[in-house]
Amino acid sequence: MEEYDFIIVGAGSAGLPAAVYAARFKLKTLIIGAVVGGTIINTHIVENWPGIVEISGWDLMEKLKEHVKANEVEIVNDKVTDIKKENNSFIIKTLEKEFRAKTILIATGSERKKLNVKGEKEFTNKGVSYCAVCDGALFKDKVVGVIGGSDSAAKEALFLSEHAKKVYIIYRGTQIKAEPINTERVEKNSKIEILYEKNLEEIFGEKMVTGVKFKEGGELKLGGVFVEIGAIPNSDLAGKLGVKLNDKKEIIIDAESKTNVSGVYAAGDVGNKHFKQAITGASEGVIAAFSAYEHINNKLSD
Amino acid sequence: MSEVTIYTTPTCVYCNMAKEFFKENKVEYKQIDVSTDSQKAQAMFEKSGQMGVPVIDIDGKIIVGFDKESIKEALGL
Repeated sequence: MEEYDFIIVGAGSAGLPAAVYAARFKLKTLIIGAVVGGTIINTHIVENWPGIVEISGWDLMEKLKEHVKANEVEIVNDKVTDIKKENNSFIIKTLEKEFRAKTILIATGSERKKLNVKGEKEFTNKGVSYCAVCDGALFKDKVVGVIGGSDSAAKEALFLSEHAKKVYIIYRGTQIKAEPINTERVEKNSKIEILYEKNLEEIFGEKMVTGVKFKEGGELKLGGVFVEIGAIPNSDLAGKLGVKLNDKKEIIIDAESKTNVSGVYAAGDVGNKHFKQAITGASEGVIAAFSAYEHINNKLSD
Repeated sequence: MSEVTIYTTPTCVYCNMAKEFFKENKVEYKQIDVSTDSQKAQAMFEKSGQMGVPVIDIDGKIIVGFDKESIKEALGL
């Protein structure tokens, strides 16, 4: 089995920049990802990656992939199923192969949370969607709801307003938590209405979704329900490896992107940083690459 | 050679991935943009019983989403 200096698990906005730096540190590097590009590929427009005024998430990741390939790091499109420690290295198992590494970066991101209400599963892809950018155009002239009050929820509502007749943001809180610039856009958009302090009890319909019921009482007729209520970190493999997680299942990292396990680093949405952005994930990934570089060199000089 | 049709929207990235996969494997395909054609969107709904894209039709076998293993199987790759 070939041994790498640094294997990056996850090929998103944290993993790809880490690969660029690791290659420049002359670490023998490999990057493995189930979804090359990561979750940001579903973001319609990215406006806060410094140096680029506006770009789609997909195109931004195409650029990063190109940057990784220019540094001759191979990207393996496969799902990692197990990571274990063996003597002084790590064995990474995928669906198809096994790899060995001296150090690893866990940049596995997160997965969208489900509402867990009646009808959600039944109507998934029948009006219930977890990807406004993918499916939004199919809801032309319909009345749709976005569940959630985050910046992502606001951005989804803005995107959907380009297609739908009317967009409700349905939020359990009393004030949406979007970036001020997006809050302002939502408020100025005549197609978007925010319903506060509403919790979903049920999604109903026949062949397709026709509406939702609230726990507080009352119903709302909707042709589509877009769920955007946050994410759960993909930290199960790290947990099994003995990496410490917090109560939100996020991997605890320090300022050097180190976890409690020597030689294991984490970056991006899977980590416990409060402000989660593509650029901060990239930064954590790059720092991890440097920490791995130091770790390997210190071992050599011992 | 299999007859392949993919139902897409312009902003659907899993559609892009599926198309890239077809190109890599030299599979010819027909593309239908359901965001601009509501009749075709209805046809897709009837074929697949759902409204998510991509929907891929390989010789009459309907695959919802970019499900690489099912696509490989249907194409005999």
